[in-house]
Amino acid sequence: MAEPAYTVASDSENTNEEKSSSSPSLPEIAVGIDIGTSQCSIAVWNGSQVHILRNTRNQKLIKSFVTFKDEVPAGGVSNQLAHEQEMLTGAAIFNMKRLIGRVDTDPVVHASKNLPFLVQTLDIGVRPFIAALVNNAWRSTTPEEVLAIFLVELRLMAETQLKRPVRNVVLTVPVSFSRFQLTRIERACAMAGLHVLRLMPEPTAIALLYAQQQQMATHDNMGSGNERLAVIFNMGAGYCDVAVTATAGGVSQIKSLAGNPIGGEDILQNTIRHIAPPNVEASSLLRVATQDAIHRLSEQDNVQIEVDLGNGNKISKVLDRLEFEEVNQKAFAECERLVVQCLRDAKVEVGDIDDVIMVGGCSYIPKVRNILKNVCKKDEIFKGVNPLEAAVRGAALEGAVTSGIHDPFGSLDLLTIQATALAVGVRANGNNFIPVIPRNTMVPARKDLFFTTVQDNQKEALIIVYEGEGETVEENHLLGYFKIIGIPAAPKGVPEINVCMDIDASNALRVFAAVLMPGSSSPVVPVIEVRMPTVDDGHGWCAQALNVKYGSALDLITLQRKM
Amino acid sequence: MSGTLVYSAGNSLRFSPGNSLPQPKTIRSFNRTARFPTGAPSFRASAQTLNAEPAVMESVRRRASSLYELLKVNETASLTEIKTAYRSLAKVYHPDASESDGRDFMEIHKAYATLSDPTTRAIYDSTLGARRRRVHAGAMGRTGRVYTTTRRWETDQCW
Repeated sequence: MAEPAYTVASDSENTNEEKSSSSPSLPEIAVGIDIGTSQCSIAVWNGSQVHILRNTRNQKLIKSFVTFKDEVPAGGVSNQLAHEQEMLTGAAIFNMKRLIGRVDTDPVVHASKNLPFLVQTLDIGVRPFIAALVNNAWRSTTPEEVLAIFLVELRLMAETQLKRPVRNVVLTVPVSFSRFQLTRIERACAMAGLHVLRLMPEPTAIALLYAQQQQMATHDNMGSGNERLAVIFNMGAGYCDVAVTATAGGVSQIKSLAGNPIGGEDILQNTIRHIAPPNVEASSLLRVATQDAIHRLSEQDNVQIEVDLGNGNKISKVLDRLEFEEVNQKAFAECERLVVQCLRDAKVEVGDIDDVIMVGGCSYIPKVRNILKNVCKKDEIFKGVNPLEAAVRGAALEGAVTSGIHDPFGSLDLLTIQATALAVGVRANGNNFIPVIPRNTMVPARKDLFFTTVQDNQKEALIIVYEGEGETVEENHLLGYFKIIGIPAAPKGVPEINVCMDIDASNALRVFAAVLMPGSSSPVVPVIEVRMPTVDDGHGWCAQALNVKYGSALDLITLQRKM
Repeated sequence: MSGTLVYSAGNSLRFSPGNSLPQPKTIRSFNRTARFPTGAPSFRASAQTLNAEPAVMESVRRRASSLYELLKVNETASLTEIKTAYRSLAKVYHPDASESDGRDFMEIHKAYATLSDPTTRAIYDSTLGARRRRVHAGAMGRTGRVYTTTRRWETDQCW
């Protein structure tokens, strides 16, 4: 077997590589990459504006898939598919963004089992087994590997066109990605020889683009102009993200974020289930026909679907828009919930919203547009951005800004003040998740809480760090765990265990823990500092294993401090 | 009792810097260790930010005697003025825009968060007035301390 055409750079996915830059004179401009569930794009600041690169077939939007048909896997950048169905023979892996960093108990992974390639789950909280069909054999791979192969192709394409090595990248990611998933994206980039400068939640990349447009329109660099409040809604094939941002003078402050792994893929599968007669396996033909029908429903009130499934099975059906909306009612309700939640979190009045920005493939669906118009009480959707290019343009802008590029016309005099998309906290008070840094906290952030022991003479305590929104730990993502040892013997409730969390501007999370005793003025044992996440694959097991091993012996509860 | 979920005093302290709430003494002495990195230096920040802060940054926090001064606005500033001031300071002190480690910006943001909300601003203003009077009545020699707004629960006190 030939070696895959990528190189694994290093295992230091968490370290800041302050490499001696090869050319100190000219800073390398980081490229922006929007890795979509179904389509990818790559763009770069060319000195005066954002330029979206095209592949050899002159496409700006490149289908995200990797085919394992031949000895050397080939991604959608270089690979020419004769027709759509070829992607659905089982030899191609796609939708990797829905699979990356997820364990096999995850409902999103289960929803991917209908896809033509193999997604096998054991439902025990380990990574799913993924394989492509090559010469009638399942060849195993991983989402990281698939993404890395694809990124290598994107990188080679960019290097050819820009005539320089490409190393630094800014990537957009879904709001709902956990920090563990982000490390998987970083790993894939490292495998592809790329260095991640930033992973931007998708709507915040659009917020940056919006800030730049607004600044250019008003020539306002001082931030003295009117603040504009925008709701940004981004829904692609895999994820739905919402942000509320306040913008003026090139500064975009993210007031709130909300996201969910719900997207066009779910809508497509719901619709396929609706159209397909019972006992008929969803074929690739049906998938393509349904996708096409959904696209046409954005323009028409009804569409005719004709699919010959072979063996005398034929589907001939008229699908009208109302029916389609009914079938996907749950998905649309979820979109609405996210927007409402995001507005509530941002504490803004609907009447104060200046613009509603909609991007991503699903933003073309009339129902989704109506939801946004209704919730935000706006008659018009913002027309200033291209729904399919906005994210990559924002990422390219961030790439230029983060690379320290200065623009004489002030086009890069931009700043995004980010907020945390998910709360980070620890397990305490039984099985509860106690957030230390709540959701939508301005980044950089540093906060702490005090906890205490639950047993008399408890000498050790487990600090189990989670990320998410659920009240109990099971609903959240495990990021890591460590043990504090050497707590002095004392009745329960006396030792003070301080847990501090710090998120820096590049979104790195560090957790500190210290043991204090009443009356003492310094930690009684050395402070522990841990860079999170520390978990690796199979982490679904870890929390349960800890529970089996220790029970509540090393538990913590929140400490009510005397004022 | 201890079983109740009560978050640390950070929030209430935030709005009343320097007032008579007893500082949890156990934490204060961490100040020295607090100088350690507030995060992996962002890509542009160099290792020198680990312990030393650029002198200019330090002075901004030191000199401010009220949240208004921190944001460089009058006490009568309108909301728009406060927002404008916050954004222009963000462009200077945000870690993405400077070599700063983010502590200054967190401070600026906190001031902004307090002053941009009418309710918290009113509470803050009343404490400001109270402290003024107290200082005026002769808080012998400790005036500078009383005015300090840089008591930071989540930063300094979090060792």
